[in-house]
Amino acid sequence: MDNFNIMDYAPIGVMFLVAIGFAVSQIMVTQLIGPRKRTATKLMPYECGKDPVGSARDRFSIKFYTVAVIFLLFDIEVLFMVPFAVAFKKLLQMQQVTSISYGTIAFVEILVFIATLVVGYIYVWKKGTFDWGLQARAEARAEARAMVAAKKAELAELRKAA
Amino acid sequence: MNTILLQAISNPDVNLQAILPETIVAVTGIIVMLYDVFAPKQKNVTTVISLIGLAIAAYFMYSMWGGGPTTSWNGMIANDPLRISFSLVLLFVAAVTILTSTVWSERETVPVGEYHALLLFATFGSMFMASGNDFVIIFLGLETLSIATYVMAGLRKSDLKSNESAMKYFILGSFASAFLLYGMALIYGATGTTNVALIAERIASPTFPGLLLMGGAMLVIGFGFKVATVPFHVWTPDVYEGAPSPVTGFMAAGPKAAAFASFIRVFVIGFPLIGGATAAGYLHESWVTALAVMAMLTMTVGNISAIVQNNVKRMLAYSSISHAGYAMVGFVGAGVAKTPEVRDAAIAAVAFYLLTYAVTNLGAFSIISLVGQKNDRRTEFEDYNGIGFKSPVIAFSLSLFMLSLLGLPMTAGFIGKVLVFRPALEAGSVMLTTMVVVAVVNTAISAYYYLRLIVVMFFRERTTDWSEPKMPVGVAAVLLITIIGVFYFGLFSGSWIEKFVTPSAPTAVQAAK
Repeated sequence: MDNFNIMDYAPIGVMFLVAIGFAVSQIMVTQLIGPRKRTATKLMPYECGKDPVGSARDRFSIKFYTVAVIFLLFDIEVLFMVPFAVAFKKLLQMQQVTSISYGTIAFVEILVFIATLVVGYIYVWKKGTFDWGLQARAEARAEARAMVAAKKAELAELRKAA
Repeated sequence: MNTILLQAISNPDVNLQAILPETIVAVTGIIVMLYDVFAPKQKNVTTVISLIGLAIAAYFMYSMWGGGPTTSWNGMIANDPLRISFSLVLLFVAAVTILTSTVWSERETVPVGEYHALLLFATFGSMFMASGNDFVIIFLGLETLSIATYVMAGLRKSDLKSNESAMKYFILGSFASAFLLYGMALIYGATGTTNVALIAERIASPTFPGLLLMGGAMLVIGFGFKVATVPFHVWTPDVYEGAPSPVTGFMAAGPKAAAFASFIRVFVIGFPLIGGATAAGYLHESWVTALAVMAMLTMTVGNISAIVQNNVKRMLAYSSISHAGYAMVGFVGAGVAKTPEVRDAAIAAVAFYLLTYAVTNLGAFSIISLVGQKNDRRTEFEDYNGIGFKSPVIAFSLSLFMLSLLGLPMTAGFIGKVLVFRPALEAGSVMLTTMVVVAVVNTAISAYYYLRLIVVMFFRERTTDWSEPKMPVGVAAVLLITIIGVFYFGLFSGSWIEKFVTPSAPTAVQAAK
């Protein structure tokens, strides 16, 4: 801590200012120039449409949980890759100074890590976790087929009449 | 140039060969997982893939005997008889469990491929618990093992009992993991290292002696939960009863052996008796006393509770608690050993004991899975009434396993018990001798409920109808392996015990031969 310099932290301070400024400016701009329609739904506490009064023991679709787990998968991927990226340059330098292959080992390790994650990704993909509307799509398809059949029957009747 | 940096990062001691068996198991698990997701209708392909992977891993693990460095990866991975013998037990348990579960995956709609992948990942974690010479590796292995096992316990998604089992195991298991991790943190605070070998050197002059004792106590709780010792055993019967029978057999044999492996490594190797050091001496004395008392309690409570059970799976759950107590007798014997040779022999005895227990227990659970039918409907004692002469293969082999669990001479269980009791008896202290006496008395108590099952099968009238379950090839293979194993380890155990003691690296002792 002997070469502590407050100016080293200046980028973090700037980042803070930008973040606060962005958030405040966005809210101000929408307040100032956005159109307003005061309907009953829009004035509810949660604009997403969640009823604020009622039983708290609601059931959620299992899909939310699987999505949360997958989010964790990629969250952790980034969490590990940032320190790797920070350290990698230094490790490469050390590889040149000593004859020990620090950089290569680190690179191979991160590749193995990503490969493991990709396996998980393929797994959840094939399991259909990203497919949110399987049932809805099947219903829509059945409906479309019924419509086509009805149309065909109608046409056939018209032809017969002709 | 850059000397400060170079000191900060030590040489990356990469030794892929040292973790080759673990890697093979993990890669097999990934292959199984991917195969299953691309061909979800399969039932037997992943069985074959898993068995091949486990066999290759076992081959490489076996070939490590007598070669290679004692530690690798900067001391994180040990390569000693403790690791190799326990890892072989774990691989054996996994392979037999996969064979047993063929019965169950055929008649029920369970996700077979996922089950095999989870089993392989659990084995991977448990092998790292055996090989980890560092708290970090041990904890990672434990978590990999535990999370896979929690899921396996709840594999029957629509069965409430299975759900209860998974839920209880998960909540209590994470609680125990937290204790373990906290204990590791305190030990790190006291010694400034997570490496077990370095801890053994530094406990002579710890930074904070109080932390050492508290950390040790927390580690006892964490590991004690995993091996199911009294008073940390309460989860065992419920979890074992609700989990699908093949999984129960696995949980009683695999995770227990893995937890014993790291338990022994941390306490016997990490907290040895060091002459002239007060803190270390106090730590050693307290953990030996605590574990001796726990061993006595575990055996007694396990056996007495098993007597009153009416469900065979619950009975075997309590029996597994008491067997953890017997294994702890050998463990404490290893703890008080005066010389490294005696210590290694005692550790080998515990490994051998867990091998015999695994052989016997997996055989018993394969029969329970077979008799249990769909969703383990028939697991009460009454369901075994009078099947003795109607289905002689099932009844006689189950009787053999019960006798081996009891420890009748000529069976594997007998040799195992003799071996674990001997080091404690030879130590010559009053407490340890009492412990052995309690163990022998408990063996006599356990005769009641083991023999009860045999009596029920052969001498009771059956009131309900009995249709002999069809025996699949997998279960037949398990029965063959385990029956031969029970007799083989009971009669010709010498070569294996010797093998378990053999140091992996050529040492002075070997050179003298």
